[in-house]
Amino acid sequence: MVIRLSRGLLTGLVWLSAWLALPAWGETCAVDDRQRKVCLEEPASRIATLSPGATELTYAAGAGDGVVAVVSYSNYPPEAKEVASVGSHTRVDLETLVSLQPDLVIGWVTGNPAEQLETIEALGMPVFYIEPRDFEGVSTAIERLARLADTREEGDRAARAFRDGIAELAARHADAEAVSIFYQVWDEPLMTVNDAHLIGKVIKLCGGHNVFGEQSRLVPRIDDESVLDADPEAIIAGGMGEENRDWLDHWSQYPGLTAVDRDNLFFVPPSLIQRPTPRLLDGSQILCEKLEVARARR
Amino acid sequence: MSRLETRGLVIDVPGRADGRALDLCLAPGQVWGVLGPNGAGKTTLLQTLAGLRVPRAGEVDLDGQPLAGLRRRRVARQLGLIFQERQDGFPATVLETALIGRHPYLSAWQMEGGDDVRLAVAALERLDVAHLKNRLVNTLSGGERQRVAIATVLTQSPQLWLADEPTNHLDLHHQTSVMTLLGEQAAAGKVVLMCLHDLNLAARWCDHLLLLYPDGEACWGPASDMLVPSVLERLYDQRLATAEIDGAPVFVPMR
Amino acid sequence: MRRLTLPLALLLAASLAAMGLSASVGSANLALGELWAVLSGGGDALSRTLILELRLPRSLSAFATGGLLAVAGALMQVLLRNPLADPYVLGLSGGAAVGALAAMLAGLGGMVISGSAFAGALLSTLLVFGLAHGTGSWTPSRLLLTGVVVAAGWGAVVTLMLALSPAERLPGMLYWLMGDLAYARTPMPSLLVLALVCLLGFPLGRSLNVLARGPMQAAALGVAVRPLEWTIYVTASLLTAMAVTTAGSIGFVGLVVPHMLRLVLGNDQRLILPACALAGGTLLVLADTLARTVIAPEQLPVGVITALIGVPTFLYLLYRSR
Repeated sequence: MVIRLSRGLLTGLVWLSAWLALPAWGETCAVDDRQRKVCLEEPASRIATLSPGATELTYAAGAGDGVVAVVSYSNYPPEAKEVASVGSHTRVDLETLVSLQPDLVIGWVTGNPAEQLETIEALGMPVFYIEPRDFEGVSTAIERLARLADTREEGDRAARAFRDGIAELAARHADAEAVSIFYQVWDEPLMTVNDAHLIGKVIKLCGGHNVFGEQSRLVPRIDDESVLDADPEAIIAGGMGEENRDWLDHWSQYPGLTAVDRDNLFFVPPSLIQRPTPRLLDGSQILCEKLEVARARR
Repeated sequence: MSRLETRGLVIDVPGRADGRALDLCLAPGQVWGVLGPNGAGKTTLLQTLAGLRVPRAGEVDLDGQPLAGLRRRRVARQLGLIFQERQDGFPATVLETALIGRHPYLSAWQMEGGDDVRLAVAALERLDVAHLKNRLVNTLSGGERQRVAIATVLTQSPQLWLADEPTNHLDLHHQTSVMTLLGEQAAAGKVVLMCLHDLNLAARWCDHLLLLYPDGEACWGPASDMLVPSVLERLYDQRLATAEIDGAPVFVPMR
Repeated sequence: MRRLTLPLALLLAASLAAMGLSASVGSANLALGELWAVLSGGGDALSRTLILELRLPRSLSAFATGGLLAVAGALMQVLLRNPLADPYVLGLSGGAAVGALAAMLAGLGGMVISGSAFAGALLSTLLVFGLAHGTGSWTPSRLLLTGVVVAAGWGAVVTLMLALSPAERLPGMLYWLMGDLAYARTPMPSLLVLALVCLLGFPLGRSLNVLARGPMQAAALGVAVRPLEWTIYVTASLLTAMAVTTAGSIGFVGLVVPHMLRLVLGNDQRLILPACALAGGTLLVLADTLARTVIAPEQLPVGVITALIGVPTFLYLLYRSR
């Protein structure tokens, strides 16, 4: 009898302690973009970000102080340039990464080599994959990172600001007349994006109609002829660096293009629109303004 | 002692009629010469006799057993071949080259031992190339390479010697010494069969001759029966002057 | 026997030194004392991870891959009686590349890529052999020609796949094509196969020596030529497929290492094959050590380094030789 009672007591204690532990566990769990639940016993305090975008998102989530390792081209925010590099996102220097002893690694589903991320997990470092494919993905990435790093207040604020900014742009251009545009990602070979691409979604947000939106590939390769055939009202290009209009000058040789005729050749800094980070809001605002200009020139 | 016999043998020369089937019997102690113009199939015959080519018809028997059914390793202990063409794509020294003559006698895990090296060196000495033993074969002159090839077969010490133009590239002195060597082998009870271009060497050293015609016709027998000027003139389509010097017939092409 | 053991002992010492070097240098700084502590079973957790989980598996894989490629190259050279042959000359790496890239295009990872590359290599082997065999029998030159043309065909397919693949997958594919050991973590199967081939290669060695002088000569000396050639072909293909599966197509090791060794050690396959295993392994271990340290933390593909080391060494030896 005594034994049974004490066993019952013991079971109760186990349940109780589990119950007590639960909130702590719940606080540091998040689902990543491969739909895996990643849980940390302690909030992440040493974070390795394996893509430039992940670096920006982690800083935006308020966890910038915890970032101990980044990859090449992690140039925003400027503080990130001071953090130790572990090579390029296509080939991570595992040795440097291991010796920095991160307690959380932010991976990039399509950008990092799958085998390396598997190795990192096998070595006991939790990997949290992020790869935002839409505006909401950016907001929730910030929220989820903030949860893992226990910086919810700042993260939620940043996420809300981004969400509200996008919503505002959407509301403003909900009934705007469609402007047909061609977005140039690269010049040689000539590449654009389709509607499923995040940039394609920015175009839609601003009331634009992407002339290559129906293409099946995310980043289709095209030629000059198909651009002439589509005859967009506006051409928007990034460029090799910031403030480089060379790519746009290329189109001036075709005066028959409506975009050239109306002088609708616009430059949008690529770093503001090609990374799925909070700065995408700035890029979207610029792109929307350009489309407003194009509408005014009709 | 070994003997090689052919029964109804027709060698496979592409695009040629069967011609006359060969029923040869190469017995110990005999020195056979194969004569014929270019393209008569001398080399093909030699390789067929060695079992390296499949005949169009008939078969070759080694000591009464069909050659085709024997393991190559067993054949190689009895039958050696001096090739006219050799591949020296990879560098090898003269001694290494002679040592491969011991290949058929060594088991897979066995390395060449002192006895093997002694046999090879003796063979090189017999052919007068022992002083070159550490040279790479591809740095030698044509005649030196020919003698190394013969030394390799001597190291192999087969019962049957099949030699394709053994005097190729050799100067007069070494021609004689090689023919003497082959004669000694026959005298020791071995069988020698060689393709020759030089009628006079054949007349001097061979006791049996096989004449091969380009159309597949053939005739064979003791040398004394075969060395008839009119037959040889038809064989080479070349008029010959004949004399007898030092007890052997000598043939000289007429201008 | 001394003729065999001395060079092999020297090469073994060199490969051990290379492994030691490879285990002791890296982008993370570890004192030699720490290395010793780890190897003797101690050391702190971080050093243990660095050396036992990252450096050693990788350098053992590099050793095995280099050894496999060099042995396969030596075998192919004998098979084709052509000192210019390398393990890839019969289109094997192209087949493996198509297999690997197809798996990457489909978004698959890890073991699937390896398996697919292996299947591609074997498919290419069968294709080349079947085509070269044709209705008659194959000769080395016919095999070589078939292999070169099939390789060109694979090359076109690879280019097509690169052109059609999404931009974010390109770097991984290019690294695979350039040859890379960053993934290699399971060296044991390759090492075992390498040891097995060296052991079993010894009794075949003298027959290979004879075969190198041409099939007729070999047959006249008692070699069963056709079965031996089949054995070489299948073995070399399997070795290459295994190497390509581990590390992508690393060029140059299979061509240059056997060649260099022949210039220095002669052409006895009983010496050349194990020497190739040791020297090829050593070369790749050194190359991979450089690849991961020279501009660390950025990582270079190891194939680049093998060529950069191999070309001048080879040219020098060739220039010096008679």
